[in-house]
Amino acid sequence: MKKRRFLAFLVVLSSCFSLASSGGEQQVLAIRAGKIWTVTDGVIAGGVIVVNNGKIQTVSQNAEIPEGAKILDMPQMNVMPGMIDAHCHIGLSLDIFGEMDETVAAVAADMQILDAFNPQAEDVKKALGSGVTTIMLAPGYKNPVGGQPAVVKLDTSKADEWVLKRTAGVEFSLMNQALMFDREPTSRAGLVELLREELNQGKAYKAEEFNPRRELLKRVVDANLPAYIWAHTVDEIASAMAIVDEYKLNAVLVAAGQGDEIADMIAKRNLPVIYSPLLLSSKDKDLKRAGRIANSGVKLAFASLAPKTDLCDLRTSAILAAKYGLDKETALKSLTINAAEILGVADRLGSISEGKDADLVILNGEPLQLTSSVEMVLINGNIVYQRQGE
Amino acid sequence: MDSNRRVSPIFLQVKGMKDIKGIFVLASLFLLFISAGAFSAQEIAIKAGTILPISDAPVENGIILIKDGKIAALGPNVAIGADARVIDAGGKFVMPGMIDAQSRLFVIEGELNDSSSIAPELNILDGLDPFVKEAPEVAAQGVTAVYISPGSHSLIGGSSAVLKLNGSMDIGEMLLKGDIAVKAAIGVSANNESSSLGRLSDYSSIRESLLETKIYVHNREKQAREMAEYNKKRAEYDKKKKANPAEKADKPKRPARFRPNPTREVLAKVLSKEIPFQIEAHRVTDILNALRLADEFGFTLILDKCTEGYLVAGEIARRKVTVILGPVSTSFIDMPSLEYRNHDIRNAAILSDKGVKLALGVSGRDGASSKFVALAAAMAVASGMDRDLALRAVTLTPAEILGVADRIGSLQAGKEADIVIISGHPLDTLSRVEMVLIEGKTVFERKDQQ
Repeated sequence: MKKRRFLAFLVVLSSCFSLASSGGEQQVLAIRAGKIWTVTDGVIAGGVIVVNNGKIQTVSQNAEIPEGAKILDMPQMNVMPGMIDAHCHIGLSLDIFGEMDETVAAVAADMQILDAFNPQAEDVKKALGSGVTTIMLAPGYKNPVGGQPAVVKLDTSKADEWVLKRTAGVEFSLMNQALMFDREPTSRAGLVELLREELNQGKAYKAEEFNPRRELLKRVVDANLPAYIWAHTVDEIASAMAIVDEYKLNAVLVAAGQGDEIADMIAKRNLPVIYSPLLLSSKDKDLKRAGRIANSGVKLAFASLAPKTDLCDLRTSAILAAKYGLDKETALKSLTINAAEILGVADRLGSISEGKDADLVILNGEPLQLTSSVEMVLINGNIVYQRQGE
Repeated sequence: MDSNRRVSPIFLQVKGMKDIKGIFVLASLFLLFISAGAFSAQEIAIKAGTILPISDAPVENGIILIKDGKIAALGPNVAIGADARVIDAGGKFVMPGMIDAQSRLFVIEGELNDSSSIAPELNILDGLDPFVKEAPEVAAQGVTAVYISPGSHSLIGGSSAVLKLNGSMDIGEMLLKGDIAVKAAIGVSANNESSSLGRLSDYSSIRESLLETKIYVHNREKQAREMAEYNKKRAEYDKKKKANPAEKADKPKRPARFRPNPTREVLAKVLSKEIPFQIEAHRVTDILNALRLADEFGFTLILDKCTEGYLVAGEIARRKVTVILGPVSTSFIDMPSLEYRNHDIRNAAILSDKGVKLALGVSGRDGASSKFVALAAAMAVASGMDRDLALRAVTLTPAEILGVADRIGSLQAGKEADIVIISGHPLDTLSRVEMVLIEGKTVFERKDQQ
């Protein structure tokens, strides 16, 4: 068994070297794997993925391998789409005590978080190793209006190509942590009022004026740009829904820890939820919440919030949720296609389908097993991570 | 005995009534007690899909017979008595209850120990809160015993214990065994700062205590020899005096009284290998210092945490030192402190490949984390640890390291019936625990079908 694994490893290794030597140019690559988890089209046992020019050309049980294609032959391996971390703070050179919020101004809508991103950071490599290929890079939750999150791919080798969305939306926070004693607002009511004020200003914005901040908020009020609203407790979520109803926002709930308690109300409004990480110390009651939210018909994705929590491994959250009642298929979707849809990048990412980017994760077991480890990660058909030999 | 006590007041009552009906009631009550007694002593037979005894190879379609809370027999062909209670676990896995060898369950937050103190005489049992709400959740994941040792901030923090999660609120009833080991820590900082000097001072303070204990033991033994000598001479003297009271003889001088020191007595047990010395060490220098102490004083060393053990795996393996390793992943801890800077998820795999005997602990941020011991083992497997050894590392290996393998840790005839029934293989993350028995009594049974 071990010997066979080692042989498979050698095959993989040698093919990697040949890939590397060809410089990853317009290559045709064929991946033959034990199980392909397409996410949108079931599981293909013993299938082949043909990658051409960084895109998935075909995926099927008996796809013809084009002549001259490089072949990754991995009959023991499982392939799944690159995972999407729907909210995290990696690459911001933060330690666990670091700040990612403007703590003086309450409104920081102009702030583009991408300006602070270092793609070479150690935690970016760690995320890649855990199978995350795309992230929503987000500011924190301490500003009522917190700035602009970005959607980026973690292969930054080709300039310009890795930023999918520089301004993916505007972040709002109704969390208790957005209240500070030394700046306004200092109360919950004041916090909600400040949000209204900002949105009203956006609403009243005329194109003749030049005011980028108000223009941005106008896009939010016009529902052209999504509002990512941090809310954790039931009352915070209720406030968020009141604002969403009032301004008819295109909104996404972030964190939503207690969302299961009002899951029906969230589902009625078609609000997707980016759920905070499930921790390996949580009580059973809390571990069951994510499953309850999804079972009420809410579209669910997961956030690692790394490095604020040390849970770089996004997959662990989905596995824990599945262990505590989340449907297995939905758990897999929450890591991939659901996150892609919520972030508006599902035309390119989130499933192994023809025409999508070849962002693939190769595991030595099933995706929802903690015993499986990530062996290799590809972005746009290029190998960007490979597990070190034992 | 208990039933007798309960019967007697009713009996008196009935005597007072003095009518046939009362005697009838008494008789039926008596029958009830008899049958209740019979029920608790009733045989239980588990018909399993796959038995994982851990000590031996898996048994397909086997039967486990439980009598008086102990495993009476196990195998593919075990005769089941006619009145035995049969638990049908067909298609399911049956394994021994798991042990979290680095639990914080029942520990009151922030009351683990004093900073930099040397207090081997303390006992973790005196600082536990048996009323924690999380204990049933932990048991429901198949964890039947937890090993709790004093915290990281004392240099020598006292003795540790293994408790069973049998649902009792009485520490005495939960206690499987106390005085498992004396816990020490080298190079663990309280304020997340660390200096080489601090580490050196930790090491030398512990060494000094051990040296002083050595001197103490030497003095105690010397005094005991002198006392024996004195008693002999005194007897001779008394004999002479009795035979001839007039004869002149020197009365022997009684040696000075020896004052026993409870602190030293505990460490004396460590030096005589009566109790192992469990040293928490994270970084390479600290691990090497712990090994050096064991070389010098010859105690039985258990390395705790052993975060950077993979860098000196050969040294640890060569000395045949046992290891309680954890956390497997830093996901188990909240804010990874300095000690975990070089944490590597492959640590368990590397040490175990070198032949080091190791148990896996959760080492989570709070008591509830103990329920994830199977997940910790799964994570170790993901990073390359052998599946069977990983499973052993949360059952039989900790029982062996902690000296309780005669009672728990595997499914073998004669051991206590701490048994877990699971819907699938225990390392399959999505398997669900169906039933947990401790000494044959059901402490958890899954009700919801979800």
